[in-house]
Amino acid sequence: MSITIRPARVDDLTGMQACNLQNLPENYTMRYYLYHMMTWPALSYVATDAKGRIVGYVLAKMEEDVGADDDVHGHLTSISVLRSYRRLGLAKKLMLQSQEAMSAIYKAAYVALHVRKTNRPALSLYRDTLGFTVRDVEKKYYADGEDAYSMRLSLRP
Amino acid sequence: MASTPSKRALPSKESSLFKELLTFYETRQLKKGQKTADQILKKFPEHGETLCMKGLILTHMGKRDEGRELVKKGVRLDLTSHIVWHVFGLIQKGEKNYEEALKSYTQALRFDKENMNILRDAAHLQTQLRLYDGLVETRHLLLKLRPNLRQNWIGLAIAYHLNGNLTEVKRVLEQYERTLKNVPDYDVEQSELMLYHVRVLEDLGELSEALSLLDVNAKSRVIVDRVAIMETRARILSKQGPTEETEQSWRALIQHNPDCPDYYKGLLASKGIDLDNITDSNRAEALQILRDLSTQLPRADTPRRLALDVSIGDEFQELVRDYLLRGLKKGIPSLFVDVKTLYKDTPKWMTIEELVEGFRETQENGGSLDDPSIPSAHSSPPSTSHEAPTTYLWTLYFLAQHHSSRDNHFRALTLITTALTHTPTLPELLTFKGRILKRLGDPVEASVAVNEARLLDGQDRFLNTKAAKYKLRAGLIEDASDILGLFTKKDAPSPGADLEDMQSLLYLMEEGNAYRRKGRLHQALKKYHVVRKVFEEFEDDQYDFHGYSLRKSTLNIYLNLIAWEDNLWSHPAYVASAIAASQIYVKVHDDPSVSKDALSSGTSTEAEKKAKKKAKKAAQKIQEELKKAASTSTNEDKGLEVTPPKDEDPDGFKLLTDPEPLERAWKLLSPLPALVRNNIDVWIAVYDVAVRRGKYLQAVRALSNAKALDPEHAELHLRYLHFRKTYSALPSPLSGPVGAIVSNTLSSLLPSELSSDLYNSQYLQRHPADARAVFSAARGLHLLDHPKEEVEDMIFGVLNREAHLQLKVALEVLAFLQGIRSARAEEFRLACDQKFLLSSVFKNPAELALLQREGSPKEEQQEVIG
Repeated sequence: MSITIRPARVDDLTGMQACNLQNLPENYTMRYYLYHMMTWPALSYVATDAKGRIVGYVLAKMEEDVGADDDVHGHLTSISVLRSYRRLGLAKKLMLQSQEAMSAIYKAAYVALHVRKTNRPALSLYRDTLGFTVRDVEKKYYADGEDAYSMRLSLRP
Repeated sequence: MASTPSKRALPSKESSLFKELLTFYETRQLKKGQKTADQILKKFPEHGETLCMKGLILTHMGKRDEGRELVKKGVRLDLTSHIVWHVFGLIQKGEKNYEEALKSYTQALRFDKENMNILRDAAHLQTQLRLYDGLVETRHLLLKLRPNLRQNWIGLAIAYHLNGNLTEVKRVLEQYERTLKNVPDYDVEQSELMLYHVRVLEDLGELSEALSLLDVNAKSRVIVDRVAIMETRARILSKQGPTEETEQSWRALIQHNPDCPDYYKGLLASKGIDLDNITDSNRAEALQILRDLSTQLPRADTPRRLALDVSIGDEFQELVRDYLLRGLKKGIPSLFVDVKTLYKDTPKWMTIEELVEGFRETQENGGSLDDPSIPSAHSSPPSTSHEAPTTYLWTLYFLAQHHSSRDNHFRALTLITTALTHTPTLPELLTFKGRILKRLGDPVEASVAVNEARLLDGQDRFLNTKAAKYKLRAGLIEDASDILGLFTKKDAPSPGADLEDMQSLLYLMEEGNAYRRKGRLHQALKKYHVVRKVFEEFEDDQYDFHGYSLRKSTLNIYLNLIAWEDNLWSHPAYVASAIAASQIYVKVHDDPSVSKDALSSGTSTEAEKKAKKKAKKAAQKIQEELKKAASTSTNEDKGLEVTPPKDEDPDGFKLLTDPEPLERAWKLLSPLPALVRNNIDVWIAVYDVAVRRGKYLQAVRALSNAKALDPEHAELHLRYLHFRKTYSALPSPLSGPVGAIVSNTLSSLLPSELSSDLYNSQYLQRHPADARAVFSAARGLHLLDHPKEEVEDMIFGVLNREAHLQLKVALEVLAFLQGIRSARAEEFRLACDQKFLLSSVFKNPAELALLQREGSPKEEQQEVIG
């Protein structure tokens, strides 16, 4: 059986956490994954292999503090696909499912994310594969003092 | 409330001060609160409620010990005040002592029966402790007190649900919904609530009611989660039976997400076809459906892939050829793993082998894979251009994986070497080379290959993790730490500390196992205990959601959370860590000198000492900073949760020298028997600990459970013998009904008319060509006190060709021989070194040290011997 793309479940979270730790430099404790799932249960998706192991995921939420002049929007907390499962277009497929849920359920106008300025592989995924554009540079966004690009993808046709 | 006891009553000045104190606490103006409390205590030093409030405030300010003492004193001085018990409960809850906290809350409620805050907290504690009868009562009371709050209705429904009473859930929901007027569109919380209501009806088996509730609310846009609507619909319709509507419901899902095989399974089932059991009579129809969907959904991989499961013969060949070619040309690294699930069908893997070997030859001869002379259904126009060089590379990569999976590692290695000569810079080739070498028994060379892969793309954490894992497998623990440190937080005391904070089970297990292989059992135990700590954190994490999810009304997912938590300890990483730790504890119990050996082998190398010093310094710095922060901002609220105390036993010395190793082992294993019934290793570990604790009933039951899973299991065979020997050697047999059960169960496992010797030799005769069984029977002889020579003679039988000795078993055999101080251990080691040609694991310590040093200039020799 090929790769499965489906909504994330609670029993996927340890697998998502493991996938994240194996792949990306920004990591989170279980509590943070639980907070996403318990608040926005329909926004996160996983890709699993034939044995049901998590090989990719998107962890997403809605922005809770929306400014008065801003639109309702989603936030991409983390997206990643194991290197051994690349070139299948999984990141794009995961992202599409998540963003459809954001607009169907929450009427999100766009989805935003932050990425370290020096994280070139991630930057290229967001820009070239997923179609995000850089909106802004946020100085010293990260605890260690690094700047972040703030990126956006419009969900309105 | 009834008349206030005299010692609680304060004069009006202090009484208003006390009210201020409460307000200061609630608004977390801790310093002011502390001052106010002191003002009251100056005149009334024995005022229990004030003492408790002061204690609570001090705890918030980080002075837990002092605070806790004051609270306890306050409780003693005013045992009938709800305030003191409430405060005590809060403190205990912060310490995660949920049982004691609930007792305090129950006391508080005796003196203030309708306090909403206390009732709510008590409900959360009852949920955490799974005391569902009490929870239903508490929720009833809360609803009675405040029927206008939605969460109180939901709370009662969920309490009934957890207590297994769905009929009452339905009644509560219906009653609540009748009180509702004018629900706005797109109210996500209402949407979640209605989805929950549908699930309740579905679980009650009221399918048509569930479906109509879903449809009505989907149409009126009360339920807004489209995927949930579609999935629930398709599921309920399928339960009702295959109809045109069922089929359409699955088709709608496939349109929405064409890469979820379950949807295709549902669609086929609605046509009466079981995708997992295709027959000759429905194969053609199934294939046609999948083909049509592939045409409709050109971007979807799933229907094309499923067609490979369904088709056979020429049709399979035609489909798989296209599938493979497309994958190789696109350079999809997971292509082999993807088709490998077809290999259980011999004609299929043979077809694949033939095709891909053909692709390789064609490319080596400068031909094109689109050449129509190669049989293909889609006759593409002949192409003059040769294949892209990368296609050839991915062909070799595929073939190497193919042959390795067929246990043809030498062929695999040759192919990978060819590929690497062609292109030395593709990390995948090197990681797979590492995998082959690992399978051949050379973890050191394997780690060299994977590390080369890592160096090709230093920004890729996937390669970093893999390289570190291979270093750990090769026993190069310090190298692994350095590599991991390239991606962990720079301000963490050590790379491992960051990975521990981030709850990396992979790291903890791999490093624990690496220490164990080196005989550094204390450090291994330490890592396994940290795994347990991580799961304890996961268990605590649910607490906040008992209230949160009711407010957010995300009830379906919340119930899934509870179910997940109830099964938490069955997670493979926890099971593996508990078994491994229990084996170490059993070993130490059987032979306490083991712990001494381990501790003396734990003398660190120079580099390690340096690293440790560094870590210690970093930890000190953090502690100092914390202290500084605490002293500069004393008013800062630190909350009620206990900050983890400094680890007094970072290397696990105390764990390994624990006076009660078996009790520790049992504590780790105890959640498993109820949750992991189908894992024979669990039952064997439970037996090993139970029999040594003198819990004979538990021990023999563990054996029965194991027997139900695999009666001929090699480790189990040995336990039968062990149990009979142990049990019959008891000075006085167990009496009463327990004794009878134990004896009866034992004779059902090992018939009493059979002598142990006979039983052992019969076992060997049944499995003469199974190295594990031979090894087990030989250990049986040893257990039955046969002379060592006899044991050795039998054990060398594993080297016979027909025994198919696997490397992993060979290592266990060697360890056993060394353990019984066999004179022939060295002979066995040399034989294995010969037999496993490219392996390094059977080298003697000095040779191995040399190899490791070549693989890693940093590691020193004693590291290896240790």
